[in-house]
Amino acid sequence: MIARDKRGDVLAAADEFRRRTLSHTTGPLDRLIYLASMRDYNTGLYYHQGLAARFSNEAACEALADCHREAFEELLSSPLADLVEQLETYMISTRTDPADFIQAWQGLEPYRVAVPVGTGSLSVEFLFSNLKIALAILEHQQARRPVPVSAA
Amino acid sequence: MIELVLFVAVGLGLLVLLFLVMRRPPTAAEGAAGALVAAKRSLQVLQDGLLPTHLIERIFGTQDLEYVSSLKSKSLQDLFLRERKWLALAWVRQLRTQILSLKDFHTRQSRMFAGMSRATELSVALDFAGIQMECRLLQLLVQWRGPYASPRLVRQTATTATGLCAVLDKSLGFLTPSLAGGPQDDSSAGTTTL
Repeated sequence: MIARDKRGDVLAAADEFRRRTLSHTTGPLDRLIYLASMRDYNTGLYYHQGLAARFSNEAACEALADCHREAFEELLSSPLADLVEQLETYMISTRTDPADFIQAWQGLEPYRVAVPVGTGSLSVEFLFSNLKIALAILEHQQARRPVPVSAA
Repeated sequence: MIELVLFVAVGLGLLVLLFLVMRRPPTAAEGAAGALVAAKRSLQVLQDGLLPTHLIERIFGTQDLEYVSSLKSKSLQDLFLRERKWLALAWVRQLRTQILSLKDFHTRQSRMFAGMSRATELSVALDFAGIQMECRLLQLLVQWRGPYASPRLVRQTATTATGLCAVLDKSLGFLTPSLAGGPQDDSSAGTTTL
């Protein structure tokens, strides 16, 4: 009975988080990175003050973990063309120079720490491989884009 | 005096015997429990991590290939094909490893499958042999001609593996409650029998 109540809290917390916060994100890639940033690297636990105050620390943590897994699954099923588009939208949202962004992502591979715990190794490798290709495509597209000529 | 020496000798002998018994490897029952859990885990890896249709379609499907081809860049196409080939080989390798682990368990702990009919037992043995052969063949084809060499063989291998998993899962279904709680348990809950 207690377990059922707890699960009910987690579902309610996840639902609220989806409606209030995640609905403002642009896509699964954006969501994945945002949710990974809410996870403590040392403990693997997720923190969200507002959600924890409304429900409980435990329920908030589990709800965020559920949303994280959901975002990962959604991103995994995105076709490559969509992934390139999502990556470009994310890049624009960071307001970083495209060349710097691509170089940093290719060098540091920050997406490697954005994977939810307990994900199958092949799924993880598949996503990393797709992101690597998407970055190369984005680089190719940026290189072909005409350089804006400043007005004299 | 001789009696005392005899008593001491018998006492020492018993102590040595006790020491040897204590150093024995785990009993067959403990080993079997460990092997059962390992087999159940192999099944979970197969069902949740390697055999979901959407993952196989994403790795071996041509939708992404068509998109990359439309970009008309040789270097991008090469990168894409290299990455997909690596993933396809990783899929075949992992599938074969898990199947071999299940086969090993099945042959060593056959008494666990006492409820299996002769016909099912024969079909399972044939499936094990078939999948191993298919995996080898697929590995060679992917290595030689790339990930899109034989979609039919991929489908056939996945179908045989899924069927085999269902049969073995039914036999090991009684273990499911002890393994519940993992993040991926929900997806397999519908296929297991309690």
